[in-house]
Amino acid sequence: MTIVVLTGLLVGIAFGFVLQRGRFCMNSAFRDVVTLQDFTLLKSVGVALLVELIGFTALSMAGVITLNPKTFFWGANIVGGFVFGVGMVIAGGCASGITYRVGEGLAAAFTAVLGLAIGGYITAAGFLNPIAIGLQTSTKVVAGDGSNLTLANLFGIDHHAMALVIALIAVVAWAIYIRKNGNDEDNRDWSWMSTGVAIGLIGTIAFPLSAAAGRNYPLGVTAGWVANLKTILPGVEGSPGWLGWMVIGIVIGALIAAYSADELKLRIPPWKTLLKTFGGGCLMGFGAVTSGGCNIGHILSGVPQLAISSILGGIFIILGAWIAAYFLFIRPLKED
Amino acid sequence: MGEEVKITKTIDVRGEICPYPDMKTMVALAKMAPGEILEVLIDYPLSLERIPRGLKKKKHKLLQTEQIDGPDYRLLIEAHGLK
Repeated sequence: MTIVVLTGLLVGIAFGFVLQRGRFCMNSAFRDVVTLQDFTLLKSVGVALLVELIGFTALSMAGVITLNPKTFFWGANIVGGFVFGVGMVIAGGCASGITYRVGEGLAAAFTAVLGLAIGGYITAAGFLNPIAIGLQTSTKVVAGDGSNLTLANLFGIDHHAMALVIALIAVVAWAIYIRKNGNDEDNRDWSWMSTGVAIGLIGTIAFPLSAAAGRNYPLGVTAGWVANLKTILPGVEGSPGWLGWMVIGIVIGALIAAYSADELKLRIPPWKTLLKTFGGGCLMGFGAVTSGGCNIGHILSGVPQLAISSILGGIFIILGAWIAAYFLFIRPLKED
Repeated sequence: MGEEVKITKTIDVRGEICPYPDMKTMVALAKMAPGEILEVLIDYPLSLERIPRGLKKKKHKLLQTEQIDGPDYRLLIEAHGLK
């Protein structure tokens, strides 16, 4: 077994285990804010991002990793992010959410992942590719020296200094919040705090491990499934790579976690639901490949690198999710 | 366990994807009179944890959480009655 396969699988298994135990899903995290006024999962996301902000910066300062923010193409980030956000609400989960739920035995998650892979593939190499390329090339902006835009080089400030200042402000804000609210209302095995920290640590260690396997970036999901699809499609060149193995690991880790908690069960919903999540997954695949990242690639991995592409993409993922949630869940219920 | 509770209404949201278990539960409760009992059959772990948080906000009372088999659970909720 090569290093690529092994570390990818191991990171994925750890990631999948924590995702399942902590119910960490960014779709729910963002959508719950507007549909249920529930901020529990959002807090997990925040903690994970903060841990990685500190982790990536420390590793970069120590020379262990080279930061690699994604290319900023504002048109593609906006359109792709928005479509991804809408898609994940329809699919019932973000890219990592639908992946881990395959391990729990949810058939609806499986069809969503299938849609993600197919939608992503068609956008990366099929008939939707011209749209993605068009959006990307026409709106691409880089820094003066040709490097990808970050909050730091946008303002001409040293990256590490800016990252540490943001981290410091965030930690202080968090401390004030905890002091005011306590480690509130968490009735679960894995609280939002411990889940967020665990995810953040896994995300941090993923960076050097993936880089050692030839892929200089921390966690992602969508590209992994596209790579896996290309691998199994006859006549198409492709291999899983580190990320392809990592997403397979997520399913395995989640399966182990679900089994250990007696939550493993094959659940097959009506075919209309399967069709819906497949469609949502396709939108997610298109959105992620167009934008250059999904919720993991942009929000979890890109924002802590202060990438402008990821910040903008992330904002539009959230907006797309909120608008879809409004039309799917808030408005219909008001007409009661 | 405990005395027999008279169930007013049962909804079976097993197999539903996020966030339908939560939404259907809250919608059903919003239409019920104070003191009426809703029985929810659910198999989605995220919603199983999230619904109690939502109930607290709307002042519905979670009477019982009972594991049926694996991730299948049965919730008994007393409606607060106010929309």
